[in-house]
Amino acid sequence: MNKTSLAGKLFLGLLGLYLVVPFGLTLIYSLFVEWTDLLPRGFTLRNYITLFSDLEFWTSMGRTLVLCAVSVLLTITLLLLAMYVVLVVNRKLAGVMQFVCMIPYALQGVILSISIISLYSGSSTFLSNRMLMLFGAYTIMVLPYIYQGIRNSLNAINAQTLIQAAQMLGCGRFRAYVQVVLPNMFSGILVSALLAESVVFGDFVLANNIAGNNYQNIQVFLNRRMFTSSGLASAIVVVIFLVVFIVTGLVLKLQKNESKEK
Amino acid sequence: MKRLQKETLLGYLPIVPFALIVVCYELLPLAQLAASSLVGKESGMVGLENFIKIFTTPLYQMSIRNSIRISLLSALVGILVAFLAARFCHEASPVLRRRFTMLLNMTSNFSGVPLAFAFMVLMGNTGVLTILGRELDIPLLENFDLYSGDGLMLVYIYFQIPLATLLLLPAFRGIQPQWREAAMILHAGPWDYWFRIVIPNLLPSILGTLSVLFANALAAYATAYALVMNNYALLALQITSKYKGDVQIDKATGGALAMVLILLMVAATMANNYLTKRAAKGRNLV
Amino acid sequence: MAYISFQNVVKRFGDNVVLDHIQLDIEKGNLVTLLGPSGCGKSTLLRCLAGLEQVTEGTIILDGQDVTHVPASQRNIGMVFQQYSLFPNMTVEQNIGFGLKMQKMPKDEIADHVRRAVELVELKGKENQYPASLSGGQQQRVALARSIVTHPKVLLLDEPLSAIDAKLRKALQTRIREIHQELGLTTVFVTHDQDEAMVMSDVIELFHDGRIEQSGSPVSVYTNPVSTFAASFIGSYNQIPGGQFAALTGDAFDDACTVAIRPETITLTRRCPKNPDAYTLKGTVLGSTPRGNVLRYSIQVGQVKFHVDALFRSFHIFDPGETLYLSIPKHDCLCISDKEVHANAV
Repeated sequence: MNKTSLAGKLFLGLLGLYLVVPFGLTLIYSLFVEWTDLLPRGFTLRNYITLFSDLEFWTSMGRTLVLCAVSVLLTITLLLLAMYVVLVVNRKLAGVMQFVCMIPYALQGVILSISIISLYSGSSTFLSNRMLMLFGAYTIMVLPYIYQGIRNSLNAINAQTLIQAAQMLGCGRFRAYVQVVLPNMFSGILVSALLAESVVFGDFVLANNIAGNNYQNIQVFLNRRMFTSSGLASAIVVVIFLVVFIVTGLVLKLQKNESKEK
Repeated sequence: MKRLQKETLLGYLPIVPFALIVVCYELLPLAQLAASSLVGKESGMVGLENFIKIFTTPLYQMSIRNSIRISLLSALVGILVAFLAARFCHEASPVLRRRFTMLLNMTSNFSGVPLAFAFMVLMGNTGVLTILGRELDIPLLENFDLYSGDGLMLVYIYFQIPLATLLLLPAFRGIQPQWREAAMILHAGPWDYWFRIVIPNLLPSILGTLSVLFANALAAYATAYALVMNNYALLALQITSKYKGDVQIDKATGGALAMVLILLMVAATMANNYLTKRAAKGRNLV
Repeated sequence: MAYISFQNVVKRFGDNVVLDHIQLDIEKGNLVTLLGPSGCGKSTLLRCLAGLEQVTEGTIILDGQDVTHVPASQRNIGMVFQQYSLFPNMTVEQNIGFGLKMQKMPKDEIADHVRRAVELVELKGKENQYPASLSGGQQQRVALARSIVTHPKVLLLDEPLSAIDAKLRKALQTRIREIHQELGLTTVFVTHDQDEAMVMSDVIELFHDGRIEQSGSPVSVYTNPVSTFAASFIGSYNQIPGGQFAALTGDAFDDACTVAIRPETITLTRRCPKNPDAYTLKGTVLGSTPRGNVLRYSIQVGQVKFHVDALFRSFHIFDPGETLYLSIPKHDCLCISDKEVHANAV
């Protein structure tokens, strides 16, 4: 069974090719002056030079990174505090917690974005601020990813007994959580945070529906450029995917390291 | 005793910020969405008026039908390809398996607007394959309309495959090599082995994956929006259009459409739970 | 007054009564074992003493102080857990010093104490390693050092050896016993392993369904089980209904009682022995199983199946089917009525 059968190799090879083609062609497309015949003509970096000298690109990228950082950090903080209560004060909350955290995973972007717009857009208070709505929405959207990361690392290090062991040595519960449990969760949280980053980075729905042109992220920027310059758009797609590839690669590497340690 | 109670209350303090955000941006919006779907658009009365309107308006009927059709078909094709891919990947050498899994992880992130654009480069009006079709005189490629239901289907299938394969791969690890040996000793042919042993054992995972794929396609928005804007009747596009743009927000119709989408997803999940339980009766899930 | 005293301690989880009015005194300096099958409440009692569980009713006194509602972190009790529970982000040294750091002890003093504790558990040279690089036995020794370095009022051990393989377990049992004697630390040990309880304890408290079934020294618990539960859990007593045993021996035994006989008190011979202080029964060998240095025979006598332990001597092995005589000393036939116990007086 260790030798891959010929049919298997052929199938995987063709499927691999099929999966690579859309991105591969976009990459080639972005590097040539035109592709109106069978083969592209005129190698050029013009698309990338134009893109990198476009201020709007940098502001969109900057906004996207701010959204990634703020929402993921906020969610991590909120969940770490909340999980302390679940872990130490009342274990019965675990079920409710899981339910609440997995809802966004089931509903995905469309429902999440329109439900928030529906509730707050008519409101005349500060809650109708589109930025506030956007950050709130992203915080909820990354909830399932961060929650699973935190819960799995809590289980993996047997957090409850660690806290009890620290208590027996004269350490308060909250202090034990901060000093003994949190340092051991770093790598697990890092992996889930990176996963969440790639989700926020790849998001179009929330950004387009809630903020639209008010706070244009990289995906919305791409969507607008797509109809004006396909050369530029192809360069944006390549840049977006290099970022996502790097993040995914990092996640896979971290996960591999972690499973090696165990 | 008093002191103890106070301490317990104090212990709940850390969960308050989390609860606040979840209530404000998850639970309340959803509750309001459900509530607004029940307030009639014309009459302002509580009832099923909006739902009746949805199911009698051709555009909405078609949106629901299209959404279900495209989700179901793309999920089925996706799982078929993924089943073979997972099977071969499982049997492959470790090096090939690692590389292929890596490729799946990478391409499973390739979705939304960038994917739509990549397909435009590939099969749009001046796409590479379209030109190829024109040059080589292949009408299927030349006349393919990416900005239509068929086009959407093609792109949806593309993003279903890596996801489905990643979800199915772990299940194949539960198939023990001894089963094949045991089956051979009992004079079972390859057909018997696959259809009487492997597939029944994988069934819970296959059904579970199918429901994830269905829900995934049902809720997909970015790809469709980038390709056809609002020019195609699709549930996700119709819902969003009620809350966007310069026209007045239509909470009643939008809310009702959103509830239909939610119910479809809940139904998929429940059907999956039921079938999985039935398929897994009395044995461990693979 | 006893050093540790549980007074009418009740613990319920919902409707489930885990501890049913426990009355237990523990003397200073003793090593007391809470023994019993899983789910009998022994671990819960330990965790109540530690402060990790709150009692539903009753009072716990430690060193003259009511600690029933004192938080775990302020009871000054040392505890070793089954899963070691070392802090993975800290070295051996930092793990052991953690409790002293909590007490705000100066750094150089901590180093001093830690060095002595490391020597005590024989882990010199491992101070700067992380727990993940240690074996199970080494990790458990770090956990032990960590919990005794703070000079706790009492040391609690919650099945600390159950995850360690058999050979190493024996060595650690001895080491724990030695350290206990060296430091004179009052120690409460929880285990479900009766052999371990025998080896280690000054006093055994046998638990059954949330109550203490029997307490006493290992020898007295072993030789004088007070109930059929104790007789089956400690030693593997032959238990024969009184009526049946009366029929076999011709002596009068109350039918309501159970006659309990330890398998190693029975002597097997091919010839009929003459001993007025013992019952002599005739039986057929069904088979035998080697158990370490003894061979356990099962022997059919009338309706009753006995098991008998004989030292493993190769020239003295009985074959299945052989007819033998069993000689059972009368004073080793205990009559248990599940209420009270009395040696059989003939």
